[in-house]
Amino acid sequence: MTRLRREWGAREGWRGTGAGMWAWLLQRAAALTLVVVIGLHLANPFARTVQALLLALVLLHGLLGLRAVLLDFGLPLRLHRALFAAALGLGVALFAAFWAWRWY
Amino acid sequence: MILRVFRYEPSGRERLQEYELETGPATTVLDALVEIQRTLDPTLAFRYACRVGMCGSCAMVVNGRERWTCRTRLATLGGGPVTIRPLYHFPLIKDLVVDMAPFAEKMKAAGAAFVPRESEAGFPPIGSGSRERARIDPAIECIGCGACLSACTMVGWDANFLGPAALTRAFTAAADSRDGGLGARWEALFGEDGVFRCHGQQTCIEVCPMGLEPSEAIRRLRRMGLGAIFSFAVMAF
Repeated sequence: MTRLRREWGAREGWRGTGAGMWAWLLQRAAALTLVVVIGLHLANPFARTVQALLLALVLLHGLLGLRAVLLDFGLPLRLHRALFAAALGLGVALFAAFWAWRWY
Repeated sequence: MILRVFRYEPSGRERLQEYELETGPATTVLDALVEIQRTLDPTLAFRYACRVGMCGSCAMVVNGRERWTCRTRLATLGGGPVTIRPLYHFPLIKDLVVDMAPFAEKMKAAGAAFVPRESEAGFPPIGSGSRERARIDPAIECIGCGACLSACTMVGWDANFLGPAALTRAFTAAADSRDGGLGARWEALFGEDGVFRCHGQQTCIEVCPMGLEPSEAIRRLRRMGLGAIFSFAVMAF
């Protein structure tokens, strides 16, 4: 029996993709990329680009995870888009603050 | 306006067929399909009934997103060609018509029917102003269109996942204090294909034409399950 599935390889498959899906995808993508970046960081802990990438990915993954936890623990689901925006905004702010604060 | 319509026959191959027709500012996607069938191609198959957003039978994937076609005006979809496909994850019958049997099967598998408690005599009403009613009411307006099952990527990966609609219906029964069926539903709801298969992508919320929040029902079912496990653990120790 033939069943159609969304074609992720085609542009149409991505039309109408909502904030909740983007948040979920971004968090997973950040996790997978982190595995590679942690490896690079261990190989050369002083490479500034890798440090920046590591910080950005940790913030992205962590804050989107926090969003999921807050929603799981009872925050109204109507806030899910606002929480996504807040996670991204807070991520940018924290990145800027950490990066400006050179502790070594 | 150009419409690209999915065509399918069990014996033939899948394809998109292009139709061009005159449309007005209030023409809906369903109006356009009816016009195509009447004037351009009588072999085109699609399903509809009420035409006024009550029955849910005309849900399709329009420009990549699940919509009820009788309430979607073409003018709101931009100027480009509009692509119309049948709902995802359902068996195809012909063109835009899918077999809705899996929808009912999931309802049955979830035990999504009210089971009165043995001790209940008659059906005492739940007060309209009660908290119980306020919890259940937002979840009871499902019209069975299937859009949420089509949009849910988890249903795409695991065809046995009960999905948003059946879990929402199961929640309305489980949250009813007169219902005594949670024990019988337990394995289905909290097993491999139950509530924990939901990854909270909120696609069901995005597409539900009735504005229901299946993710919320799933979240509440999870809490009820965890609450029951916690109570059992407290009693056991």
